[in-house]
Amino acid sequence: MTATTQERSLIARLSGARETGLVLIILALFLIMSVASEHFLTWPNMRAMAMAFSVEAIVVVGMTILLISGGIDLSVGSVTALAMVVAGLLFLAGVNPWVAALIAIALCAGIGAIMGFFVTVVGLHHFIVTLAAMVIARGLCLLGTGGRPLGLYDLPDGFKWIGIGSVGVIPVAIVIFVLVVVVFDFLLRRTTAFRLVYYTGSNEKAAAYSGIRTKRVIFLTTVLCSTLCGVAGVIYMARFGSAQPTFGVGMELNVIAAAVIGGASLSGGKGSILGAILGAVLLSLVSSSLALLNVSVYWQDIIRGSILLAAVTFDHYLVKRQAAGGRA
Amino acid sequence: MSYFKSLILSGASAIAILGAAPAAQAEGGLRCEPGETYVMNVMVMGHPYWVPVFEGFKQAAEALGCEAVFSGTPDYDITKQIASFEQDLVKSPKGILLHPMQADPFIDPINRAIDSGISVTTFAADSPKSKRTAYITSDNLAEAAFAAEEIVRTVGDSAEYAVLENPGQSNHDLRVTALIAYMEKNYPNMKLVGRQATNQDTNAAFTATSAMLQANPDLAAIWIPEAGSAEGAVAAMKAAGKKLMIIHADITPTTLEEIKAGNIHMALNPNQGIQGFVGFMNTFLGAHPGLIDPFNDYKASGFNPMQIPFVDNGFAVITKDNAESFVLETYMEGRG
Repeated sequence: MTATTQERSLIARLSGARETGLVLIILALFLIMSVASEHFLTWPNMRAMAMAFSVEAIVVVGMTILLISGGIDLSVGSVTALAMVVAGLLFLAGVNPWVAALIAIALCAGIGAIMGFFVTVVGLHHFIVTLAAMVIARGLCLLGTGGRPLGLYDLPDGFKWIGIGSVGVIPVAIVIFVLVVVVFDFLLRRTTAFRLVYYTGSNEKAAAYSGIRTKRVIFLTTVLCSTLCGVAGVIYMARFGSAQPTFGVGMELNVIAAAVIGGASLSGGKGSILGAILGAVLLSLVSSSLALLNVSVYWQDIIRGSILLAAVTFDHYLVKRQAAGGRA
Repeated sequence: MSYFKSLILSGASAIAILGAAPAAQAEGGLRCEPGETYVMNVMVMGHPYWVPVFEGFKQAAEALGCEAVFSGTPDYDITKQIASFEQDLVKSPKGILLHPMQADPFIDPINRAIDSGISVTTFAADSPKSKRTAYITSDNLAEAAFAAEEIVRTVGDSAEYAVLENPGQSNHDLRVTALIAYMEKNYPNMKLVGRQATNQDTNAAFTATSAMLQANPDLAAIWIPEAGSAEGAVAAMKAAGKKLMIIHADITPTTLEEIKAGNIHMALNPNQGIQGFVGFMNTFLGAHPGLIDPFNDYKASGFNPMQIPFVDNGFAVITKDNAESFVLETYMEGRG
């Protein structure tokens, strides 16, 4: 194959990729913001924007994989808060913060397992099970704290490092986020085990008939999503030096929106980690840009919603064109 | 400078409460009947703000030999709070100290309570068109003016400042709009360069403050009407490696620690205990209108003579010098 042919092949692959539309939209916003604000295209601003979305994007990864398998998790905000509260309470009780963090993450995995049990064994729908879990987890947060935020200012610097430290010039939280994304994107794209997630989400019955243990897939993706909430909760705790029982209210909407904007289907079988992360980047980019430009707070929601609607419409149009081109 | 602002009571209420007490005690009237119950009804019951308020409420109840009950809804939902209020009415308490989530939806429920002989006082948020007999709150205008003066005192009268806000919650709105208006009127060279809605969300405040710090390299001060967003703002300031004068209302354990460490300049905190104590007293007085025979037309017009339109519970100024006194856990341990 000649170099020119390789280049053409690469361009064809890129133009055919599901994420290309989102990349174009994000680049366009970058271009507009670079002109609109001299402070936009600076390293401190890029760092601040990346810090703003990186931890929530870890939850987006879990949600995307769950959505692909055909599930959904409304409890992510509450479970993230529960991880903060449990780790915080254990730390205040004298437990080593790393051990406390691991216990909190394990507890979140346990909540995922309980939800997975109700979905796969009892046969209830993800929506209602995770809705119940959302309420219960929030209740546990309030019960554990008496409704009061936990002050964790005395967390050791070594632990706070995961929330506010840096590796060179790169914040640790971003390093963790990138690792999570790279690992799960690779697994989802390249491994047989994770391809089962797509098969299960596309058509659970057909997948089951073909020998895939679909219930196990759904169970494990539910556990994975909750576990990543635990990871996010621990990083948030390290960043803010507090554990708030009301933290993460409404997070599920942001997380699901990012995944869906990135191409995940609410009916399962479709989606990618890269697309979902681009969705999260787009959401964060819009929010940061409005703040950077000091747009009136009374206009921000209208502008944010309009930009997102325009972006998704444009992306939808591009995908349709790609599909039509593929058939031609 | 004094770091503790003294309790301010409006003249009318101070006279009503302090003046009425000795006469009533002499008659043996300032005392509950056995089983006489008063309820404190709120939204988002788990919110830590209510804890010291209810402690004050309970202390007043104990002093007068009354029963005190905490009630409301765990949700931020007006319909659920109204339902909880109406369930309280079913139990026929003598009075209810109410934090109405919204003013007008509570007019009918409050009026029904009053008509059935249950005293209702509002606190921290009001339903002014209802028949409630008293309203106790912090003076948000005074808080905003104090914060504005402190900002100018610290960064000068020709600097850049920003605000975070929580649109839709009246006391938070007032704290923000009043500070901006005060600056415009008294310090026209103070430039408002950032105004972002973060809705008490720490992470949203982190994002917004990060962006404002990048967009405005000369940003000198930020005013925040609540503490959750202040946690995000101070984290953003640290992440950006910049110096910013952060001043906010209310407190959390983390903002207290940041005040002690010098990362947050100051917090203004309503005197919650006084709010609960005086709130109870007003509710009690509203339930015992016979304690007073005022010089007005109440007999002819048929309204409750124990009307106290507004009580200001004052606010505390918290700096690194006195922050230790505001650790809620320590206070609660002391309360047993």
